[in-house]
Amino acid sequence: MKRFWCAFFMFWPIVAVILCWIAPGQNWWFPRGPSGTGAAMSPLGERIDDLFYMILMITSVTFVGTQVALGYVLFTGARRSDTSHDAEGAEKTWFTHGSHNLEVMWSIVPAAVLLFIALYQMEVWAEYRVKDKFPEEVRKGPQAEVTARQFEWRIRYPGLDENGNPLELMPDPQPTDLYTVNDLHLTSGEPVMIWLRSEDVQHSFFLPELRVKQDAVPGLVIPVWFEATKSTEYSLLCAELCGWGHYKMKARLVAEREEDRLVWLQELQAAQNDDGVPDAGDASDDE
Amino acid sequence: MRVETIIIGLALLISLAGCGAQQAEFVNRDEIDELIPEAQTHVRKVLDGAGIEGETGHFGKPTNMVLWERLPVHYHGAYGAFAETQIDEGADEVSTLNVSLLEQNLPVEPGQTLAWISGKYAGQASTAVAALNEAGNQIEIDPGLSVPPDAGDRFAIAPGAVISHGRKLYAEHCQHCHGVTGDGNGPTAKYLNPRPRDYRLGKFKFTSTGSSVKVTRNDLSQIVENGIPGTYMPSFKLLTEEENHAIVEYVRWLSMRGEIEFKLIQALRNDYSKEAVDSAVASARESDSKLSSSEARQNIVAEMDEYLTGDWVDEFNDDTKFLADQWKQAEDPSALVIPKVARVADTPESRARGRALYLSAKAKCATCHGDAGLGDGSQTLAVQKNPTTNTDYDVPGLFDDWGNPLKPRNLATGIYRGGRRPLDLYRRVHAGISGTPMPAFGTVLKDEEIWDIVNYVMHIPFESRDQRPGDGAGESVPASTEVATVAPDESTDIAN
Repeated sequence: MKRFWCAFFMFWPIVAVILCWIAPGQNWWFPRGPSGTGAAMSPLGERIDDLFYMILMITSVTFVGTQVALGYVLFTGARRSDTSHDAEGAEKTWFTHGSHNLEVMWSIVPAAVLLFIALYQMEVWAEYRVKDKFPEEVRKGPQAEVTARQFEWRIRYPGLDENGNPLELMPDPQPTDLYTVNDLHLTSGEPVMIWLRSEDVQHSFFLPELRVKQDAVPGLVIPVWFEATKSTEYSLLCAELCGWGHYKMKARLVAEREEDRLVWLQELQAAQNDDGVPDAGDASDDE
Repeated sequence: MRVETIIIGLALLISLAGCGAQQAEFVNRDEIDELIPEAQTHVRKVLDGAGIEGETGHFGKPTNMVLWERLPVHYHGAYGAFAETQIDEGADEVSTLNVSLLEQNLPVEPGQTLAWISGKYAGQASTAVAALNEAGNQIEIDPGLSVPPDAGDRFAIAPGAVISHGRKLYAEHCQHCHGVTGDGNGPTAKYLNPRPRDYRLGKFKFTSTGSSVKVTRNDLSQIVENGIPGTYMPSFKLLTEEENHAIVEYVRWLSMRGEIEFKLIQALRNDYSKEAVDSAVASARESDSKLSSSEARQNIVAEMDEYLTGDWVDEFNDDTKFLADQWKQAEDPSALVIPKVARVADTPESRARGRALYLSAKAKCATCHGDAGLGDGSQTLAVQKNPTTNTDYDVPGLFDDWGNPLKPRNLATGIYRGGRRPLDLYRRVHAGISGTPMPAFGTVLKDEEIWDIVNYVMHIPFESRDQRPGDGAGESVPASTEVATVAPDESTDIAN
């Protein structure tokens, strides 16, 4: 029975190591997404993934090490008690209490590891969250304002001027603004920024494939930037339980080339200014 | 160990209690309880046969739907009629049918079921569709039929595919607010303001059709796709077109069911409510003292049965036809409200004209929406009359046809429930909003005048507060604190 427990506690770390090893290949960590491999679809996301894998390595090594130590103690303990019937070979259990050296060791080593992680991730964190570190491209302003509400994402885009170029997005709604719901169109291949707001309770703006997650807090306008490397459709979800309809808060992010986005905005503008008179040459009338 | 096992087992049992499959059932309108039991049975028999052995009515249950062909609902994958076919002499069976498809909602694929609705094969074993030709007028069936059907025999391919898909999606996305019956009374409904729509009146607020015309499929599908800002109706943009269509058809079906139920109860409510029967029994016994009350009641029930097997049948058929025609009419392009004149240029002059109309006795917008468009007009403080019962409401303020208190829209928020296109606002003014006190101005105002109002209304959110007439942000602040200090001095001066 003692050997059984020995084997039992050694079995799990082996399973854990095997599972962790094959997990990335099986897409168990991350949503498969448009890449089909579960890889992050944004440059910053890739770095976030690297951090994730680094922490996974550290915790795996710690876990395996702990389990090996546990197995060793059990194994040697079992061996000692096996010989205990024989008075000659019997070995007395070794009691320890309050080893100062050990206490110092297992305080300092994890602290050092944590400090290392804290310093190592700082750069990525700062780039993602600290305004001064935002990439140059997004400082010219946001492409859209995303307002979360129970239970949908309402999006406001700046309108287009006479030449078809986007105006600047103003903090307050403008008569020229364009609106959609659950349909966020942004430029791909370059860092873009949105303003994130909430109309009612806390929500969380979550782009799993781009590794973007930011809470939307009532009363705050939060700038969020990201870069979608591929022109395609991504899922946009709410990641903060916001009420009974939380599961309904699904939307899409369409990342497309800037010229495609402008065409889409022009169509949106035409549709939104539709006065329904057929000879106005408005092809966007959906009736 | 044993005690713990028992405790855990009990806890599991308790937590699983209530997890049993709940059968979705339609509920009847509250008014049905006013009817005598015999009349209630009749209503149930016609509608869904609930609680009556062997009856399914015209609608059945949510889990066992009856698809009533008379209603203009897209039930099936495709629906059509058999056209005359040249039959080869000597061929022992017909496997290629000439057909005319009356509606096609889903692609016809090999392996789907073809069910005959009328003719000699009506209700009979269905045949598998092998393929549909490209022109869409010939269909292969396998195995073939030994005797060809008659021309005009109707059939459905993938019978009920659309509506049953719609029901599943409705149960997933809509039912918890709008209710199994579409009565706007699902479990989450009581937390919402405004309340979810009760479809059973057949009225929908935001339509592209003229006043008193029903809603179009496109209107409903737009609402499902984009939601209604300012309410709890969220956007279901990620549903596919097919899913959206299926939900819309199911909602239309529920709506028609509700209307038919309402008509059924209305037809019996005057003469065969419990109250009416009691007083009829009393008066019958007054004129004939020998009559026992149970005899008198039996006479009345017999009279009702006679009515229900006689005149009522025609009335019901007429009502149903009228209803079906109303829904069909909404789909006709002529039902749409299309401005005859393009939008008047959005200039300060146009807005000023709109503003003048807004305040005028002709349009009377300000009486409800308020001088500044804040939704606080004088009518919100007046006691209104209920248009159906013609009695006063208990509390002042406006109400909708569903009996819910209603605030005139605050036009300064920039939230437009029925859509923010100029066309949408034009339609709200032109055709009014059905089910609410918002009247239709299409006949009162000229197109240019409506556009002026639209231009003004669309500008209200961008007026600064001090510009906004009637809001009086400036005026409500005391002009100066000196008034208080100066006045006593002046008064002493006068006294002196």
